[in-house]
Amino acid sequence: MSKSVQQIVIVGGGTAGWLAACLLAAKLPGHSVTLVEAPDIPTIGVGEGTWPTMRETLATIGIPEAEFLREASAAFKQGSRFDGWADGAATDSYLHPFTAPLPAEMRELAAAWQAGGRAMPFAAAITPQHAICVQNLAPRQRAMPDYAGALNYGYHLDAGKFAALLMRHATGRLGVTRIAAEVTGVVAAQNGDIAALELRDRPPVAGDLFLDCSGQSAILIGGHCGAGWVDRSDVSFNDRALAVQVPVAPGSPLASQTIGTAHEAGWLWDIGLPTRRGIGCVYSARFLSDERAAEILRAYVAAKVPGTDPASLKPRKLAFATGHRDRFWVGNCLAVGLSAGFIEPLEASAIVLIELSLKALAENFPQTRESMAIHAARFNEVFRYRWDRIVEFLKLHYVLSTRTEPYWLAQRAPASIPPRLTECLALWQDQAPSAWDLPRVDEMFPAASQQYVLYGMGFPVPLAGASPATAASPSGTARLGDISAKARALAAALPANRDYFTALAAQDAPRAAQGA
Amino acid sequence: MSNHQILNPADHGGLRVHTGAGAAYGDNVMACLTMPAEFREVQAHFPIVFRRDAETGKFAALALFGFEAGENLFLNGGTWDARYRPMALAVQPFLIGRPSADDAAPQVHVDMDHPRISATGEGMRVFDEAGVPTPWLEAIATRLGDLDHAWRESTAFFAALEAYELVEPFSLEVTLDSGSIQSLVGFQTIHEGRFAALDGDALHTLMAEGHLLRITMVLASLSQFGSLVARKNAREAGG
Repeated sequence: MSKSVQQIVIVGGGTAGWLAACLLAAKLPGHSVTLVEAPDIPTIGVGEGTWPTMRETLATIGIPEAEFLREASAAFKQGSRFDGWADGAATDSYLHPFTAPLPAEMRELAAAWQAGGRAMPFAAAITPQHAICVQNLAPRQRAMPDYAGALNYGYHLDAGKFAALLMRHATGRLGVTRIAAEVTGVVAAQNGDIAALELRDRPPVAGDLFLDCSGQSAILIGGHCGAGWVDRSDVSFNDRALAVQVPVAPGSPLASQTIGTAHEAGWLWDIGLPTRRGIGCVYSARFLSDERAAEILRAYVAAKVPGTDPASLKPRKLAFATGHRDRFWVGNCLAVGLSAGFIEPLEASAIVLIELSLKALAENFPQTRESMAIHAARFNEVFRYRWDRIVEFLKLHYVLSTRTEPYWLAQRAPASIPPRLTECLALWQDQAPSAWDLPRVDEMFPAASQQYVLYGMGFPVPLAGASPATAASPSGTARLGDISAKARALAAALPANRDYFTALAAQDAPRAAQGA
Repeated sequence: MSNHQILNPADHGGLRVHTGAGAAYGDNVMACLTMPAEFREVQAHFPIVFRRDAETGKFAALALFGFEAGENLFLNGGTWDARYRPMALAVQPFLIGRPSADDAAPQVHVDMDHPRISATGEGMRVFDEAGVPTPWLEAIATRLGDLDHAWRESTAFFAALEAYELVEPFSLEVTLDSGSIQSLVGFQTIHEGRFAALDGDALHTLMAEGHLLRITMVLASLSQFGSLVARKNAREAGG
């Protein structure tokens, strides 16, 4: 007797839970989707940067872009800028933008950039997006179709408002059932599966497949399913954050890159939304006291957001375990979001991992319980690979630094560097990162990302023993000229981020007045 | 209403111009000036007619977009529904300005009261942060130069039409699907009979001076009246 998988039950109503509800309801018609969330658990709300994948996600679940921008207080994100990571000097800054040249072109462009004496930042030479970010311009014009842009982009958003929007969309338009109740226990099936969830003051809710989106508490995957925890704090040291939200003056410039500024024992994030900036200090408790972290945060806000009274800030403290589950899919339960794991917020891998998990699930959805073990084994293999690549790519940001504080020296201790990263760094002396290093489908950080960080941090472009193809070619130099011409043309055509959102609000105003 | 200024980075450093199509940008016009140099492109979309300026007595050519003032059947909300925009429309809100001395270098002027002037921060920038003309302004300046040149050489074209008495008044009256009658009066076109009767010397002269092809383009453009009527019918049917 094969039992078909019909009823999906999601536990947890944060970004992960509601994204799961929306995506599965949109992509798996004919299945029932129920989300159980405790009525009074606030969302963590630090996952406030998305990848460009979010555009396809939102288009798939059917939310118009203007509605999303308005309801989630969202702004555009075109990449991440890293200040002070290489040596901490005032001019130490590089960009990891979302737009990359074609893989086939990367090598030629990098060689031409190096041959030209590294006259401008690497990202500025090889993509027009750098110039657009420097000028705080938007990646699109309002007249463009939804989710289309002149440059690749994702979003900065208010995670609490985003989850609320997804909830309204899921329950109002996609037929998702929401149950507001606390999960108090699991009814186990004979084979060890989860048969149903026990709820406080309500009858149990049965299901065929359960998604654990309960965040760090991981009540299903860590509880009933007993998946182990793989600690990665030996590589990734940061385990604390202090977060504040700082209102901004109307009309002030709005950046469309996450700004990550290194400090003595970690870094600060700075995420611009139309009405506020989310600023946080990430650090390692081994190397920095909470008091010192608060000082660093206040000093940053005082320097970067003039007119704010630093004494008035009441930072919210977050502690996070660094690591991930040893298995993400056990029996008929799949962990999505923080329940699956978390490595510090650098490069905003949290939300994109949710999207990738749901894409893998929806495109390989088990038709029956019998096939579930095969899907689970594949899923666990793929995502274990992805977590390893995330850990390595984040580590890459630290190992090329020449900063000399104890924290930064410890980051470069050979024992703290994953062996595969050590190998890659040795190869990358001789040959640029390529698909040979990152060969899988949907690699999270493809060769271009590795190059943006490597050459942004000052790593030399390998030319030794170069074949003519890797030496600076006339066509490579000509392409750099094309890119700078494209940057000028785009800078003329794209509006400032601030003006985009002012115009968007004005466009919404009459509609709001009609009560639509 | 217009407010012409000499375009310069000091006064117009942050200027942005709306480049889309739309009635709000002043595209709701039934016709615009067209130059003989662009008749080949224009005749592929629009009827070309002539009009004599009551004051100067000079002829000018127009591309027709509709049948009555303010009607542009090629404007579909925010879309320009043709693969070509006549030069005179495409350069708005810019103009060629010429200092009093006739041989002085022409300047780019801008009409700061034109609806294409953006007040929202959206639209195309004219100068970059450093005050250097953007590639878009460079393209506009080239187009303005082309337009200026085309305008100057059009004098010879109309002189030739008058010399061979090839212009005749014309009126159009069509019954629309709705039963209403649409008429168009006050324009001129090529006198086809006289054109057909030109002798070899006349044809040779017209050809040598580059007018012959353009005359035939005007004649060919008259077939676009059929599609203009079809657009009018479609618009009325669509509400």
